[in-house]
Amino acid sequence: MSAVAAAPVRQRVALAVLNVLPYLVAVAASFAAAGVFIALMGFDVARAYQTILFTSFRNANAFGQTLNKFVPLLLQALAFALPLAGGKYNVGGEGQMLAGAIGAAAVGILLPDLPGLALLPLVLLASLIVGALWAALPAWLLYRWGINEILTTMLLNFVSFSLVDYVATHVWPDPAAGHPTTAPIGAGGVLPVLLPRTTLHAGLVISLLVAAAAYVFVARTTVGYELVATGANPRAARVFGIHVRRLFLLSLVLGGAVAGLSGGIEVAGVHQRLIEGMQSNFMLLGLIIGLIAKGNLAAVPVVAFFIAVLEVGASAMQRTLAIPGEMVFIVEALILLFILLSDRLRKR
Amino acid sequence: MAERDRLVMRGIRKSFGPVAALDGVELRVRPGEIHGLLGGNGAGKTTLMNILFGLYRADAGEILVGGRPAHVRSPREAMALGIGMVHQQFLQVPTFTVVENIVLGTRLRNRPGLDLAGPLRKIEALAERFGLPFDPRARLGDLPMGVRQRVEIAKALYRGVELLILDEPTTMLTPQQVDALFASLKVMVQAGLSVIFITHKLREVLAVSDRITVLRSGRSVATAPRAEATEHSLVRAMVGEAVDVDRSLLFARGEHEAALAQSGQPVRLALEDLSAADPEGRPALEGWSMTVRQGEIVGIAGVAGNGQHALAEAVMAIRPRQGRVRLDGADLSALATQQLLARGLAYVPENRWEDGCLARASLAHNLILGAHRRPPFSAGRFLQWHVIHTLARALIAEFNIQARGPEAQAGDLSGGNLQRVMLARALSQEAKVLILHNPTQGLDIASIEFVYQQLLRHKRTGGATLLISENIDELFLLCNRIAVIYRGRMAGTLKRGQFDAYAAGRLMSGMPGQDAEAAA
Repeated sequence: MSAVAAAPVRQRVALAVLNVLPYLVAVAASFAAAGVFIALMGFDVARAYQTILFTSFRNANAFGQTLNKFVPLLLQALAFALPLAGGKYNVGGEGQMLAGAIGAAAVGILLPDLPGLALLPLVLLASLIVGALWAALPAWLLYRWGINEILTTMLLNFVSFSLVDYVATHVWPDPAAGHPTTAPIGAGGVLPVLLPRTTLHAGLVISLLVAAAAYVFVARTTVGYELVATGANPRAARVFGIHVRRLFLLSLVLGGAVAGLSGGIEVAGVHQRLIEGMQSNFMLLGLIIGLIAKGNLAAVPVVAFFIAVLEVGASAMQRTLAIPGEMVFIVEALILLFILLSDRLRKR
Repeated sequence: MAERDRLVMRGIRKSFGPVAALDGVELRVRPGEIHGLLGGNGAGKTTLMNILFGLYRADAGEILVGGRPAHVRSPREAMALGIGMVHQQFLQVPTFTVVENIVLGTRLRNRPGLDLAGPLRKIEALAERFGLPFDPRARLGDLPMGVRQRVEIAKALYRGVELLILDEPTTMLTPQQVDALFASLKVMVQAGLSVIFITHKLREVLAVSDRITVLRSGRSVATAPRAEATEHSLVRAMVGEAVDVDRSLLFARGEHEAALAQSGQPVRLALEDLSAADPEGRPALEGWSMTVRQGEIVGIAGVAGNGQHALAEAVMAIRPRQGRVRLDGADLSALATQQLLARGLAYVPENRWEDGCLARASLAHNLILGAHRRPPFSAGRFLQWHVIHTLARALIAEFNIQARGPEAQAGDLSGGNLQRVMLARALSQEAKVLILHNPTQGLDIASIEFVYQQLLRHKRTGGATLLISENIDELFLLCNRIAVIYRGRMAGTLKRGQFDAYAAGRLMSGMPGQDAEAAA
């Protein structure tokens, strides 16, 4: 009996190893390749990698920082991966994030005296809704006219930059800051700190809940099934009665809501205000995470955490060893390239 | 060996991953013979010929062409050895003329300008000699499939082939065109050429071949001269023990259960004046009206591309349409595809990769497509994956789908297995009406038999079936009535008892039917 049961288990383990192996190889290969460059530039490769990989785990504060970085990366990756499940590319996560951040800042600045129990949910809800609306425009253009969503979502990013600039210099400017920044939001709108003596905020809990919800939505619900079917073959999905354009619309708006929420969490958890440039390069990393995870929503959090570790390690490396942090960006890009390469090879 | 073989293939092996597609095949073709290569789908016919034509490399075995060992690494090298192949899908440039297509890839005089006068004369002479009528100056895209096939054959002859491979050449032809093709082949072999004629249709191979080799699951099981082969012996060789030939429907003699008249039954599906356009907006189906009664199988015959796809999609509301669709008297014209599926219409599309399956999703995903909003697969907003997986495992076993399990990717399946997935999906819905478009394409004989039995079961329970097929034998075997579609219109109908391949062929090529001729 146990022998009979053991065989499928062994098979499953073997299959899992087979699935994870290309990733490990890709990571090792990209580190090796980037190591060549670091060595050529005359730096100590071993110390560089030690810094990159272990800074996040040196103390509670560094770990908190890593998780704070993990939150927007995870949400941005989800904002990309949700429409990707339906075969659509949302490259407007940045604009949706800033739109959401503006919404969050507006509520936090206009209603500063509300108690936390009321203001914080409102701030986050505002970011969610404004982010969704920001994505709704390209989503509607796609739904109604079939206009390519890659173009429209990306172009709206540029609009959002100007809008942030306008809000931070003309609507609610903070004259004391030397950089386009708004006044702070009300104290009730700030996300509580999770671990004492760290900066780790409660956005982590929210982002994990969102990730879980996104997974359940895609993997377990009927609409999620239709989204997957649409992504797998929109024509066949249509032949079997699935309203594919409606799903394009829905998935892009959902992606926008999640991206908007990432902006709201940055405002409420990290900056307590709207700051120009706060989008960092979260969206680009989110795309990379989504692609490395191949759109698999269960894998996205794992990859996002790994990238967060690399990012925090990169800043530390730049600070302590004076190695350009961009090296890590090269590593991340190489991982993606190697994984895509391994896919090609496996198909041969 | 009285005559020297033009081609010898010996001990040919070829594996794709763990699957051995060919396992020690032997084939000998003599000069001046039509050699029938017979086998069910998946038997390895096309793989073997692709190896000969240089598209695949064999893992083991040797090929002798004209007595000399040949290592064919590309179609160009095959051509240099005098081997030509006409594929099921033609490799042609629709915007070029016939002549331009034929000379494409050959050495030509092009100074001071492209000189096509010489090739034109040569092509006209070839066409005349081998009985391949076509207008060499016509734009290829304007020609019907039957003519395009002649062009493809002329292309090989123009290059001076000695061995011509035809892969399932009769699929897209009317019975009349099949006869014309066979006549041309006979002229070719009289001129000393050899022809390898790949098919899964017994009647055709018996009609035209001089010798016949039968493949089964990657092995050559028999080679026999035409005179020694009987239909029964070939069937045995093709299917082995997998099918009980004597009780089989596929090889049934005379009338059988399928033929039972169903005129007294109430009308189940009624189509009234249906019209639809193709994606470019041209009319593809015009004024189509017909009924299918309970327990009736009604066939749609026609040469591929005459509006069959539009008809199926119009019924299923997949494309915009005018006209009415009624089920058991109720007007369903306003309903969307999903609601039609829920009301008991099931559809097996023709194009399995594009219309029929989610290649990048699992088998379980594929098996519930279209039924995913209904119990027991979904309860409210959530899918019941344990129910779905249980059903998927049952269907995989029942329909003999070769796959790891419900989690296997549909895209990894072979065409025949995918066809089974689509049929399993449609037949497991307990549908009132089945709409099937070429449902047995790509299936081996045992599976075709299985599908036919399933259709009869559906018929027995009072289900209606609209069977759109390019296989006229299949329609004759199963249908109570047959409507012929030509350029989107009904060209005529045939009742059981009046089934005649030539009458059908005339209607399929747009000629007036018996009645009109009698009146004229």
